[in-house]
Amino acid sequence: MHGTSYGGGSMGTILEVKNLTKKFGGLTAVNDVNFEVERGEMLGLIGPNGAGKTTLFHLISGFEKPNSGRVFFDGIDITKKKPFQIVNLGMARTFQLVKSFHYLSLLDNISVACLSPRGKEAFEKTGIDEAASSILSSVGLVDKARLPPVILPHGDLRRLEIGKALGTNPEMLLLDEPFSGLVHEEKEGIGRLIRRLNDEGVTIFVTGHVMRELMTLVPRVIAMHQGRLIAEGSPEEVANNKIVLEAYLGRGEGFA
Amino acid sequence: MMGLQVDMQPLIGRFKIWARTFRGSITLFSLAGLLLIPITGNQYLTTVLVTAMIYSIFAASWDFLAGFAGQISFGHAAFFGISAYFTAAFVEFARVHWTLSLFIGAGYAVIFSLLIGIPCLRLKGPYLALGTLAFALILWNLFLTGTWLGGTEGISGLPSLGNIFLVFYIVAVFMIASLIIMRAIVDSRLGTILKAIRDDETCADASGINTTTYKLIAFMISGFFAGIAGGLFALHLTAVNPAVFQTLYSFYAIIMAAIGGMVTIYGSVIGAFLFTVLSEFLRPLAAASLLIFATILILIVRFWEEGVMNPVLEGVQDAWDIIRRR
Repeated sequence: MHGTSYGGGSMGTILEVKNLTKKFGGLTAVNDVNFEVERGEMLGLIGPNGAGKTTLFHLISGFEKPNSGRVFFDGIDITKKKPFQIVNLGMARTFQLVKSFHYLSLLDNISVACLSPRGKEAFEKTGIDEAASSILSSVGLVDKARLPPVILPHGDLRRLEIGKALGTNPEMLLLDEPFSGLVHEEKEGIGRLIRRLNDEGVTIFVTGHVMRELMTLVPRVIAMHQGRLIAEGSPEEVANNKIVLEAYLGRGEGFA
Repeated sequence: MMGLQVDMQPLIGRFKIWARTFRGSITLFSLAGLLLIPITGNQYLTTVLVTAMIYSIFAASWDFLAGFAGQISFGHAAFFGISAYFTAAFVEFARVHWTLSLFIGAGYAVIFSLLIGIPCLRLKGPYLALGTLAFALILWNLFLTGTWLGGTEGISGLPSLGNIFLVFYIVAVFMIASLIIMRAIVDSRLGTILKAIRDDETCADASGINTTTYKLIAFMISGFFAGIAGGLFALHLTAVNPAVFQTLYSFYAIIMAAIGGMVTIYGSVIGAFLFTVLSEFLRPLAAASLLIFATILILIVRFWEEGVMNPVLEGVQDAWDIIRRR
């Protein structure tokens, strides 16, 4: 994991996290975290509730500033950049607790993202409304284009979250717990959507606290516990890792 | 900025369609009625309505910022007052034509909206409101205790724009133009971005929107129209004094927008007319008028949370539908 040149932007690496640490008072939420994400890959981040996954996401996407460490995206140091600047470099995110513009139609919810500098650059030629509409249909919400998000079921809001992120024409998506609060069929739908986006070339970094959901989706996983990365590897390797099992199940309990 | 390119042909077509709708026809009908008032020759009523029209612009500028961009200002009198002062000063001391002075005054209001906006936009919700309130109070005291621009006395004896009927039509043109422009902005792409920031600022940030820039743009547009209102106010009264910075004026804007209906722009007209006419009617009652006025306000806010415009229009439309079906 170490030894690559800083900010060199080696073709394979799209995101590089170096010695990232974040403290809230006496609590170290993210503790000296290092990892890389390869361009075009789909990487999972698992860990029990409170492991620091969301804080790590906030640090990478600029919503929180780390106490120390660096984040590089596409070879650019984004550690001190603001969230909207990072989005306009090509890394968009979704939130664990879904967010939306409550009084705007779904179409306008997406349009706002398409009106960001990066979104405009990509979509202005074809027309913002057309672009927003085609994104809505790709996340399966086009028949609800005129409705406001307040009346949507939770599963649709999760799709809208991804749609809003796509409106900024991202190279990389950070998906924070995209499966939480969904029923089984909705989970499968979101899983298919994420896989399709990855097939289309979008790099995916996705978190989850339920191992099973991520295990079937991603080929590579990193595991986090109490602010530290504790394991890395294929889903099977990580799922059978002793430290990971202890993190999830507690020390000393037998697990077959 | 964006999405404001004007293509006349579809605009005229849309106007024709709108004019035939219930809201369109009732708006045009009311507007025609308003514009006929000076013909009655009633100077008193005309003067009251001029004030109401100026307040309409002022209240709408507040609604633009608060209702559409979500930035609550308790210090709108600052923009109103600054423009009133500079408009008066340019007319009185520099002998600049009043139309140019009015836009210079509004330009100063834009500059002050940046001076207020840049430090205050780090604040949110009630803290922003208090920050803007403090700024207006500072300006009030500066103009009250300072010796520049007439000191406590203010500037008076501006040349009149003409008789009250001419003033009426000048102000009417400014009111109609200001309201249409503000409504067009909130319905444009820029308006969509402002509404997004209002609904969820973090989410707008995550959608790649530079929220600070757009909030400042909203402040500047709102400041500009508040400035137009302030400048017209000074030109209409042919005088200005530090009282224009009073907190009372800031709250006038809020009260009028709330009475008419927030997040509408046009509701401000209803609010401003009801407010101005009502306070004129109650004036002979002196102190008792405040009591009655406050009671009416509380009742409106209690029973018409969304203001009177939309519920009344819907009521009239329902009644009209029933009559037509017979």
